[in-house]
Formats: sequence, structure tokens, C-alpha cells
Amino acid sequence: MTTRDQIHKWFFYALGLFPVWVLDAYVLNRLPVFGIIPMLLPLAVVSVAVLEGAYAGAGFGLAVGLLWELSYPGGFGGLVFGMTLAGMAVGAVTQYALSQTFVSCLLCSAAVLGVLDGLQILRALFIQMDTLDVLLQVAVPEVLLSLCWTPVVYLIFRLIHRRVGGTRLA
Amino acid sequence: MKDFLRRNGIWLLIIALLLSILIGVSSALMGGNADPFSNLVTTVTAPVRNGVAAVGDFFQGVSRYVFRYGEMEEQIAALEEENARLKEQIREGEEALQENEQLRELLDLREKRRDFVFESAKITTRSASNWQSTLTLSKGEESGIQAGNCVVTSSGVLVGVVSEVGSHSATVSTVIDTSMEMGGIITRTNSAGVLEGDFALMQEGKLRLSYLPDEAQLVAGDEVLTSGRGDVYPSGLVVGQVEGVFSDASGMNRYAVVIPEVELDTLVEVFVIKDFDIVE
Repeated sequence: MTTRDQIHKWFFYALGLFPVWVLDAYVLNRLPVFGIIPMLLPLAVVSVAVLEGAYAGAGFGLAVGLLWELSYPGGFGGLVFGMTLAGMAVGAVTQYALSQTFVSCLLCSAAVLGVLDGLQILRALFIQMDTLDVLLQVAVPEVLLSLCWTPVVYLIFRLIHRRVGGTRLA
Repeated sequence: MKDFLRRNGIWLLIIALLLSILIGVSSALMGGNADPFSNLVTTVTAPVRNGVAAVGDFFQGVSRYVFRYGEMEEQIAALEEENARLKEQIREGEEALQENEQLRELLDLREKRRDFVFESAKITTRSASNWQSTLTLSKGEESGIQAGNCVVTSSGVLVGVVSEVGSHSATVSTVIDTSMEMGGIITRTNSAGVLEGDFALMQEGKLRLSYLPDEAQLVAGDEVLTSGRGDVYPSGLVVGQVEGVFSDASGMNRYAVVIPEVELDTLVEVFVIKDFDIVE
């Protein structure tokens, strides 16, 4: 694959990320379901990592982490490393342990969302903001609602992968 | 690029770690101001944000017109009635004001006054997280907005407090956000407490008034205002109404659940109180 092909490929992945980001940042927060809004950006990282593998997943995770950290309020930097690690881990797991399919994507999405919300809960418990049962009332519906969006996000990146993914442009 | 990533995968993690540290340190050092990277991204993404906000507001307006037309008609009728009643009250108030001024002069009392310096701003984004409740405004440091400024609606109802300022945008932590901590007072009983956000209540769009005095006798519907204690935030801003009074798990402390007066979902424009001078 030439550098031009790679630029072409990642340009399409960035294009795919754009509607996901707009939905996540500007549209779905206006339409909460029972007061809960889904998280789509981790699903994007997981989808690309499942389709493209560990290192590409890490690269895409780094880009999404930066976008998440810098364009959303209240960032403290941790998401850049977290998303890179998530992309790399999901890519490796699906390459060597699971398969590069939608079911794997769903499982890995659940795991990544669970870890993200688990860290939020630990942080809130550490600074004694609230009790575990109250925090779970936020985290569990958030993970479940986000998982409902996995097919949509996966489909967007699957379509891109079919066209430009892997070494198809070589 | 894939070969590059394969050969240098670990370097991506190291770069990510360094970037995380850089962003974390710079946002910690900047205090209430947005770090330069966030500022840059916020400025670059402003057209998208403003465009989506404009389209969203338009469709929200259309859907309200289509689906809540009857409700709006009833609201207009109620507002017309209220308008007539308020006009009558203004006429009575003007007479009382004149009398008040004369009596103040007679007794040589200081005049009460509430001076606010406002900056109007549009809401461009609502928080995309379930762990916080924030709004992003279309104006920032260049318009004189600073972290800690109170944000109100056109009718003086408290929306929240500016928590982070960029050069052209500002983030507001709303009254229901868990970072909220502000003095509150019940107008009927003059009982003071602390207005606080709470995770469980935030999902329901409510907040709590904690540390209530034992003798405070609150009832549902009591109006809650900001107390202004400490002179950090202005006093007398309308926060909401008491929904009920409860005891915490230990049974030792009582708190009131407050329904905010502001409708965060339908807000389009707000006013930032850049400066205030209250003489009471």
C-alpha cells in the first residue's frame, strides 16, 4: 500500500467518524432516553480496531481520544491514553483470540464501555461524591443504551472497510 | 502506515501517554481557562457547533409548533392574563416606589440597589455525558467572561456557573451538575442551606438544598434563591422550588430536593453576569 493509499484510507475513516462525532456531541444529547445519552466515540474506536487490527486501532484510538479530550468540556488528558490502549487491546484480542466480526465488536464494546464507566465510578467513589448504587444507576443504563448504537457505528465503519480497509487499495 | 504502526505500535502508546500528561498538566495549570489545545479545537469546530445548534434549534421550534400548538395557545392566554395583572402591579408599584424614596430621604437611609453587567450568549452545545451537566456558550474570554461568573435566563433565573473559559467559548456547569455548590435561601422562612448537585437527582433534572437548619419548616413549593453569602455569587437569583424534604441515610441531616426553575432542554440564549454590585 502506498502512502497515498494510506492517506486515502484514513481520510475515509475520518469521514466515517464525522457523523458519529456530530451525533454524539450535538444531536443525541438533545434526545436523552429516560435522561440518559449514549457514548458513541468508544464504539467507533472498537469498530475500527476490530476491522483493522491492533496497531491501526491504536492509531485511530489516539485520534479519537484527542478529539474527545479537546472538543468536549471537562477533559483532563486520560482519554487520549485510554482510547489508544483500548484500540490496541481490542485489535489484538479480535486478531488473536476472537474473530473480526460484529459479535466480537459487541463484546469488546461492552468491555470498553464497562471499563470507562467503571473508572468513572471509582473516581466518584474515591472523592465520595455518591454511593455505589446511585452511580450504577447512571452507568448501567449508559452502557446498555450505548450498546444499542453498536450496529449503526459498526455498519458505518464496515462499509468503509469494505471499500478501502485492510490492503484493498494496494 | 500500517507497517509504520506495526513497527512502532508501542510508540503510539508512549505518544498517547505523553499527550495525556501534556493535556492534563496544561489544563491543571490554566485553572478556569481552557488549555491552548482545547481552545484551538473549540475554535476550529465552532462552525460545526454553531451550524448544528442552529439546525437543532430550528427543528426544536418546528416540533414545538407542530406538536405543542395547543399548549402554546394556552400559554399565550395565560401570559396575556398575567401581563394585565403585572401592568396593574407596576402602576401600584410606581406609587409605592415614590413613597419609598420620599421616606428614605426623610430617614436618610442608603438606597438598595442591584447592578449587574450582563453579556448575552447563545447556547451552542449541551453536555454529551451522563456524568456532568454542562452547556457551551458562544462567547468567552474575548467578551470578558470569566470562570465563576453566574449565568441566568432573560427572567433572572439561575442557569449555572461558568466553569471553563476559552477565547471564543465558555463552559457552564448547570445548577444540577454535581460540581454545583452555592449558598441557597428559602424566601418564605429565610432558612439558608447549600445548593448541591447529586448524580441521582441530576438524571431527573433536580438538585438538593443540604445542611438545612433543624428548625427550618419547609413545604413543597417554597421558592429557593441564591443567598449570596461570601459575595462570590450574587444574591436573589431564582433557583427553583422545593419539591420535598428528606433525611439522609444516617437520619441525622435533612435536605430538600429542589426543582430548578430553568428549563435546560429548551434554553437558547442566556446572560452571563460579568460583574455585580448589590447594596442591601
